[in-house]
Amino acid sequence: MPTFVYMTRCDGCGQCVDICPSDIMHIDTTIRRAYNIEPNMCWECYSCVKACPHNAIDVRGYADFAPLGHSVRVRRDEEKGVIAWRIIFRNGSKDMDLLAPITTKPWGKHIPQLADVPPPSQEMRDSQLLFNEPKYIRLDDGDLHTLESNGLKMKEGVYY
Amino acid sequence: MAYKTIIEDGIDVLVVGAGLGGTGAAFEARYWGKDKKIVIAEKANIDRSGAVAQGLYAINCYMGTRFGENKPEDHVRYARIDLMGMVREDLLFDMARHVDSTVHQFEDWGLPLMRNPKTGAYQREGRWQIMIHGESYKPIVAEAAKKSADKVFNRICVTHLLMDESKQNRVAGAVGFNVRTGNYHVFKSKTVVVAAGGASNIFKPRSVGEGSGRVWYAPWSSGSAYGLLIRAGAKMTQMENRIVLARFKDGYGPVGAYFLHLKTYTQNGIGEEYESKWWPQLQEMVGAEYLDPEVSHRTHRPIPTCLRNHAFISEVNAGRGPIHMVTMEAFQDPHLEEIGWHNFLGMTVGQAVLWAATDVDPKNENPELTTSEPYVMGSHATGCGAWCSGPEDVSPPEYFWGYNRMTTVEGLFGAGDAVGGTPHAFSSGSFTEGRLAAKAACKYIDDGKAGGIRVSDAQIKRLQAEIYKPMEHYRVYRNEITAGTVNPNYINPRQGLDRLQKLMDEYAGGVTVSYMTNEKLLNIGLKKMKMLEEDLEKVAAENIHELLRAWELKHRHLTSEAVLHHTLFRKETRWPGYYYRGDAMKLDDENWHVLTVSRRDPDTGEYTMEKAPCYHLVEA
Amino acid sequence: MVASNPFAELSALIPPAVMQAYVVLMILLVIGGTLLDVMHKKSAKYFFERGQTLKKLAKREVSSAEKIRLGVSTVANEVLASGEFDNPDRRRSHLFIMYGFVIFVVTTGILIFGLPAAEGETAILVPLLWHLGALMICIGGYWFWFKIRVDVRSEGHQWYDVHLSDLFIVSLLMMATFALLWSLLESVVGGLLADIALFIFIAAATTLFSTVFWSKFAHMFYKPAAAFQKKVAKADGSRDKLPDLPELTDPLVKQRYPDIPEYMGDNPPYMGLGIKREAPNHY
Repeated sequence: MPTFVYMTRCDGCGQCVDICPSDIMHIDTTIRRAYNIEPNMCWECYSCVKACPHNAIDVRGYADFAPLGHSVRVRRDEEKGVIAWRIIFRNGSKDMDLLAPITTKPWGKHIPQLADVPPPSQEMRDSQLLFNEPKYIRLDDGDLHTLESNGLKMKEGVYY
Repeated sequence: MAYKTIIEDGIDVLVVGAGLGGTGAAFEARYWGKDKKIVIAEKANIDRSGAVAQGLYAINCYMGTRFGENKPEDHVRYARIDLMGMVREDLLFDMARHVDSTVHQFEDWGLPLMRNPKTGAYQREGRWQIMIHGESYKPIVAEAAKKSADKVFNRICVTHLLMDESKQNRVAGAVGFNVRTGNYHVFKSKTVVVAAGGASNIFKPRSVGEGSGRVWYAPWSSGSAYGLLIRAGAKMTQMENRIVLARFKDGYGPVGAYFLHLKTYTQNGIGEEYESKWWPQLQEMVGAEYLDPEVSHRTHRPIPTCLRNHAFISEVNAGRGPIHMVTMEAFQDPHLEEIGWHNFLGMTVGQAVLWAATDVDPKNENPELTTSEPYVMGSHATGCGAWCSGPEDVSPPEYFWGYNRMTTVEGLFGAGDAVGGTPHAFSSGSFTEGRLAAKAACKYIDDGKAGGIRVSDAQIKRLQAEIYKPMEHYRVYRNEITAGTVNPNYINPRQGLDRLQKLMDEYAGGVTVSYMTNEKLLNIGLKKMKMLEEDLEKVAAENIHELLRAWELKHRHLTSEAVLHHTLFRKETRWPGYYYRGDAMKLDDENWHVLTVSRRDPDTGEYTMEKAPCYHLVEA
Repeated sequence: MVASNPFAELSALIPPAVMQAYVVLMILLVIGGTLLDVMHKKSAKYFFERGQTLKKLAKREVSSAEKIRLGVSTVANEVLASGEFDNPDRRRSHLFIMYGFVIFVVTTGILIFGLPAAEGETAILVPLLWHLGALMICIGGYWFWFKIRVDVRSEGHQWYDVHLSDLFIVSLLMMATFALLWSLLESVVGGLLADIALFIFIAAATTLFSTVFWSKFAHMFYKPAAAFQKKVAKADGSRDKLPDLPELTDPLVKQRYPDIPEYMGDNPPYMGLGIKREAPNHY
C-alpha cells in the first residue's frame, strides 16, 4: 500500500521527505509537491502520513493484491500524546475509529542526560554491569545473574 | 561532480546505523565515555529509521525477573530449541540477563507498557513477549541516543569501513555519502559499532509489483550490517540460517499476538488441525531430541518455528491449502477484536489496509496465512551475523577475545542484526546488545588499544572514487543509448536487485522452489553470483537516490554470497521449514552440531569456511 | 518619483486607449486560461465527484447558512491569510506576493483607466500604492526565490536553476522588478534604458497573464475550492475519512478507550513536541 499525495492538500513543505525511512518521498520538480518516487520500496510504514501537517498523504493498498475503495487514515497528535486511526472497508460495512496512547510522559523529559550523571567507579567499569544496573534489572536489591549465581556452566557438545 | 568531502575527525565511538541496536549503543556510550566523542551515522532520519520505524505493539524479549517470571537461562534454552541448537549461548545469556534493565528504562522514558490489571505485572502476550502501545517506540529511543551523542549525521549511507594502515585487521572509522546533498563523508574513529540492519529483498518476494515493498522485514534493511563487516574481513557465523515467516497472506501482518494473546489457531483448507500429522515424518528427519510432541506438550517446550513452518509448507504442498488463522471465535469478544486491529496498526499497518481493501472482518471469516520468502537477519527467530566475542565471565576460550561483542576485526563491534548466533533479541535485546557493545568499545579505548591509528589520504581517495563510480559510469555510458534503461554497458540498481532475487530464489531455496536447494544448485548459484559481482562494477546510478540503491544492492550482494557459501558448507538440513538441502535431508548432529564460521579475504574475495564448537549452558 | 504616475508620461508614447485595451486583454486571457484549465483538467468535475463521495460518509447535513459561514472562513483564513501554509516563512512570503500583486494590479488599472490625467493635481496615493505593490511582490518573491525555494528540505533548486514550472514566479518577479526599474529610470535618466525596462515589464506581464494554462496561476482558483471542501468535510462529520481526535478528558472517551486514562492518567499532561520539535532538515 504505497503512499500517494493529495494535490489539493500538499503544500510542498517537505516534512515527508525529511522523515521517510526509505528515501522515497520526494518533491516533484515541476509541481513542487511531494510524491512517492518508488512505490515498490514503500513499506507503508505511515511515517510520512503521520508527519504530514496537512494530512495530504494517504495510502492505497498495493495494486498487486489490494482492491480499491478502502481507507486507513491516521492522525498523530504529539501534544496530546495519542494516535487516532480510522478504518473504512471497501464495501463500507466497517467504519471504525481507534485511539491509543503513544507516550505516557512529556517527550524526552524523563530520558537522562548521561553526561550529567555521576561517572561509574573503576569497580563498576571492571564489572559486567551497565548503566543503572544492577538496580534496574529487578528494581530491587538483586544482583546481575552470572553462571555461578545460577549454578551453570558452558559445555561443548550436543545438549538439549 | 561538485560534492564536498566532509571529514569528521577524532571520533571515539562511531555508531553506524541507529535502529534499536545503534540507539542503545549511542545512549550507553556516554555513560562509560563521559568525555569521548560519540557520533552516529544513520541512513535515514533517526526519529523513524530501522525496523521499528513504524512502531511495535510488543516487546518480544523481556524476562520479567522482577516479577519472578523467568531466568536468563530459561530464555537461552528457549532460543536454543527454537534454533535447533545452533546459537551462541554466552551471548544469549548475557543479553538476557541485561534486557530487563533496558525495558524498565523504556517505561521510565514514557513508552506505554501495558499492565495486567489482575497481577500488576506487564501484560504478557506470551512467555517472553509483553504488550506495548509502541507507535512512538523509535522516536523515544532516538531521543535517548540524541541526548548522548555529540553529533548525529542523518541521511548518511555508510558504504565502507576505514581500515587502520599501521596495524593489520584494525578498524579506523567509516565512509559514506549523504543521500540528499551527495557529499562524501569520512568518519575517522577509534572504534566502530556496526548496528546496521539485516537483509530484506535478497530472495524474490511473493509479490510481483508494488507489493514487493510489503516485505516482512523493512525494505530499507539492506544487509548493510553484513555488507560492511564482510567487506572488512570480519568472520561471520550462521549465515545459512535465513528465516521464513508464517504470516497473514500478502500483508505479512504479525501473528504472535493472535496465537499467544488472542488464542487463535490454524487449520488447513478443509478445517482440520494439520500440524501433528507431520510430526512423525519430521521426527525422522530431525530426531526426537528436537521434536517430541509429547515432551513439548508436557513441559511447554516450544516446537521450533522452522518445524511448524515445515508442517505448513508440507500441508499446502499436499493440496490442502490454504492455511487459515481461526479468528472467528476469539474475535466475537469486541475487546479482543480491537486488540487485533491495534496490533496491526501498531506495527504492520499494511495488513489493516489489506483487510479493509478486501473486506476481511476476522469476526466473520478466517483470514489466510502464507509462508514468506526468506530473510537474512539476526534478531528474530534466526541468528545470522558476525562472529563476536562474548563476555569474559561467561564465554569459553573459543568465544572470547577481550571485548564483549567485538568482531574478529579489532575495534569493530556489533549490535542487533550484526551479531551472529543471537536470535530472539528483538527490539529490546538489540538495544541491550548496543549498550553492551558501547561499554566494551569504551573499555577498548581506555585500555589503550586504539593508539596510533593511521588512515592515509590514498585510502580516503580510493574509497571516494569507488563510492561515486556508479554515477560516473552512468554518465559515460548513458551516451551510448537514445533513451530508456536498456544499455549493454550497465544495469541500474533495480535490474541488479531483480537478478539477485531471482538467483537467490532459484538456487538458494526461495519460495518458488519450496525452499529447496542442494550442492549442485548452490555451486551454480555461486558461479552466477560471481558474474553478478562483476556486473555490479558496472551498476549505474542516474542520481544520488539511485546511488543509495546501488550501494544497498552491493551490501545485499555480499550478504547473499555469504549465505550461499554457508548453505553449501553445512551439509545437512538443520532447519526444515527454513530451507532444505535436498542432498542431505536429515539433521546430522554427529557432524554438524557446530557453528559455521566464514571469512572473506578482503583482498582476494576468497571464502574460507570453518566449524566452531557449539557450547551449551548446562547445570554446573 | 514614487508618488508620480509612471503611465502618465508613457501616454505620450502609447495612447491611453491602447494601454486600456491591453489591460482588458490581459483580464480576458486570465479568464480564458482559467476556463480552459478547468475544462481541460476536469478539475471542477473532480471536486464535484469528490464532494459526492464524501457526502455518503457524512454524519449530518450541512445547512446553507453554515456553508456560507464556511465560505466566509475560507476567504478569511485561506484566501486572505494564506492559512494553508504550515511553514511560517512561506506563509509570510506568500502574503507579501499575494497582497503586493493585488495592490499592483488594481492600482495599475486605476492609473491606466485614469488616463489621460485630469488637469492639475494627480493623487499621490495611487502611484505610491502601485510602487508599494511592486515592492511587496519583490520582497516576497525574492525571499521565496533565494531563501525558500532553494531549500525545499534540501530538494530545492539552486537560484540559477530555472524550470518551466517557474514560469509563474519568474514572470511575476520580472514584471514587478522591471516595473519598478522602469519607473525609476524614467524619472531619473529616461531614454533607452527606461525603454528597455518598459519592454521587459510588458513582456513579463504578457507572459504572466497569457500562460495561465501552463503555469500554476490557476492555483488561486482551485486552492480556495479545496480549502472550502475540507471545511465542509469537517462540518458534516465525514472528515475526509480522517479519524476524530477527541478530548481525552471526556468521560465517554475514557470509557470507549480505557487505555488512555489507564496509561496516561485521568487528566493526561501536555506532552509537548516530540519529532516535530526539530525543524525538518535532517540531512
